[in-house]
Amino acid sequence: MSLEVWAEKYRPTRLDEIINQKHVVARVRVFVEERNIPHMLFAGPPGTGKTTLALCIARELYGDQWRQNILETNASDERGIDVIRGKIKDFARTMALGGAEYRIVVLDEADALTAEAQQALRRTMETYSSTVRFILICNYSSKIIPPIQSRTAVFRFKALSEADVREFIQRIVKGEKLKIEEKAVEAIIYLCEGDLRRAANLLQAASALGAKITESMVYEVASQARPDDVKRMLENAYKGKFKDAREILHRMLLSQGLAGEDVVREIHRQIYGLNLPEEAKVRLVEALGEYEFRISEGADSMIQLEAFLAQLAAYGGKALK
Amino acid sequence: MWTVKYKPKRLAEVVDQAEAKEKLLRWLEEWKPGGKAALLYGPPGNGKTCTVEALAEEKGLDLLQTNASDVRSEEKIERFLGRSVKEASLLGTRGKLILIDEVDGLEASADRGGVRAILRIIRESAFPVILTANDPWDRRLYEIRDLCELIEFKKVPIRDVVKRLEYICRSEGVKADPKLLHAIAEKNRGDLRGAILDLETIAQGRKQLTPEDLEALGKREQETDIFEALRTVFKARSALSAKLSISNVDMDPGEIFWWIAENVANEYERPEDLARAYEALARADLFRSRIIHRQNWRMQAYMVDLMTAGVSQAKKEPYRKFTRYQRPERLRFYSKTMVEREKLNQALRRIASRLHCSTRKVKTEFLPYLLYQAKKQKDFAEKLASAFNLTREEINLISSFYK
Repeated sequence: MSLEVWAEKYRPTRLDEIINQKHVVARVRVFVEERNIPHMLFAGPPGTGKTTLALCIARELYGDQWRQNILETNASDERGIDVIRGKIKDFARTMALGGAEYRIVVLDEADALTAEAQQALRRTMETYSSTVRFILICNYSSKIIPPIQSRTAVFRFKALSEADVREFIQRIVKGEKLKIEEKAVEAIIYLCEGDLRRAANLLQAASALGAKITESMVYEVASQARPDDVKRMLENAYKGKFKDAREILHRMLLSQGLAGEDVVREIHRQIYGLNLPEEAKVRLVEALGEYEFRISEGADSMIQLEAFLAQLAAYGGKALK
Repeated sequence: MWTVKYKPKRLAEVVDQAEAKEKLLRWLEEWKPGGKAALLYGPPGNGKTCTVEALAEEKGLDLLQTNASDVRSEEKIERFLGRSVKEASLLGTRGKLILIDEVDGLEASADRGGVRAILRIIRESAFPVILTANDPWDRRLYEIRDLCELIEFKKVPIRDVVKRLEYICRSEGVKADPKLLHAIAEKNRGDLRGAILDLETIAQGRKQLTPEDLEALGKREQETDIFEALRTVFKARSALSAKLSISNVDMDPGEIFWWIAENVANEYERPEDLARAYEALARADLFRSRIIHRQNWRMQAYMVDLMTAGVSQAKKEPYRKFTRYQRPERLRFYSKTMVEREKLNQALRRIASRLHCSTRKVKTEFLPYLLYQAKKQKDFAEKLASAFNLTREEINLISSFYK
């Protein structure tokens, strides 16, 4: 039996299977029924159904031929707007299959584009608007320049509630005929923070540990599969073991190839848990903000984060005296 | 030192230069007091000095030698050579040969009057005088040139350099790849001495040499320079000398940046010093990004100043200690894993397109769980491979990067 990733296997394929987001789905359904969709912008937290909705729209519009009529691009993987533009150009040149008037371009993680790249994208959207509809996807719509926002129908995806996540977990449990204790379900709900992708991944990994999934299995997966590198890094820096902290940072950025922004975000979440004077925490947050801003402007995330760790080590040195 | 050990003892052992040797011998035979001196010229390391030494040995002459490392003011030259050029050898029976090496190395001020002294020695010497120079057309030498017979020493052809290196390898019991010897010869462009030096450096304590070793040599030279610069940046009190320290380093400032960043944590111990130093580096990095994004190369000057002077001024006091500096991990990592990372990326892309997300999401959201399962379930890795169309190599690659 071949392996399936549950997050993908249980990804909804029809509009009415989408977990919550009722306000969005209702409006989209109207467009789909009229077979005339505008350019759209989906904004919202990760794992709440943005990409899924885009794929559902394609299925509803093109039926079996949906794959041929959708171009999925990802701004965080395509280096530079030129690559994206080239792909879109090639894609827009050929007619839609199945008699549709237009095809769909999904541009995921659009907030990874710089403001300049977005300006270029805006022209691309105008050039091909007769044959292509764009669905832009991002976490924060504020990162999308106003001219693009004004040319798209903006849909905001809500953070999902506990009940929403539970519904999704139950679908998988039923589909896979899993045995799971209630405490384990609660643990997944707590750990996934409203992110259905993460919920599915946690559940699948925990199921590898035994016939019946328990709360402790879920926590074991959470701590083992994602060892808290950021936490260990911060603790090392704080205790003055700067070089150890730096080594962890290097592993994350170099060999695991994580994005600097992802590391920054995780640090931000953890600063308040550090054993530092309250005032120092605030100053560190401010420093972190400065480093993140520089990174977003094109500075090198490794050196900027090392500078942050060095500052933390200096604060730690004072606090421990 | 092999350059000494394998120095020719007789004229015939000097590599090439047949024409020059013949001319030199004829000049010596015909030489009478008051006659012309011989000026041997040509690029470094092709046997000028060796030839004179071999000649003296072969003819049983005492060699009186002075070279660029001695100060050659008029007074010193007179003191060293002045009397001896007029007297017979102390041992009485043997003749003498005077060698004034590297005459184009005379310095205008320190060797003041040096030219005048040399001219007098040539005119008055009771013994034959030989001069050597790389560039006989040097302005300072025009008077001397008139009193000399010019004998050219040519570059040593590559095949002859290689032959000599092979001979040395055989004598030393070192096995060397012919390609390496050829590369050494090419690198030294007809400089046999330089080639032998390089060979010895590479062969230090080893019996088997491959072409890759040459690379190590280039790096080693570069690395001594960068180590010197790092020492200055970290120890200097003066901002200017820190800034100037990197001017001798044959390396892109962007690369030097990472050398400084890597080693500052080895040098600076006080957390406040380190924090200030890193902030200087982080600000240098801002200028670097301005260079790249706006193609404004003028900004490079500020990047360099911040990463050198800025880092040097971050310390309260210089650290009195010896620090071992190391090659930046980042550069090591990138050069070591270039091919693997490309393959890895292709594999990640395939996974990403199946999961309708970016490779970034694959790395942060999927891999941790998938690899965890692979650790827990025996056949999971194989299932994973077949599900995403990955080869065994790709699976291994992924798990090695994300362990």
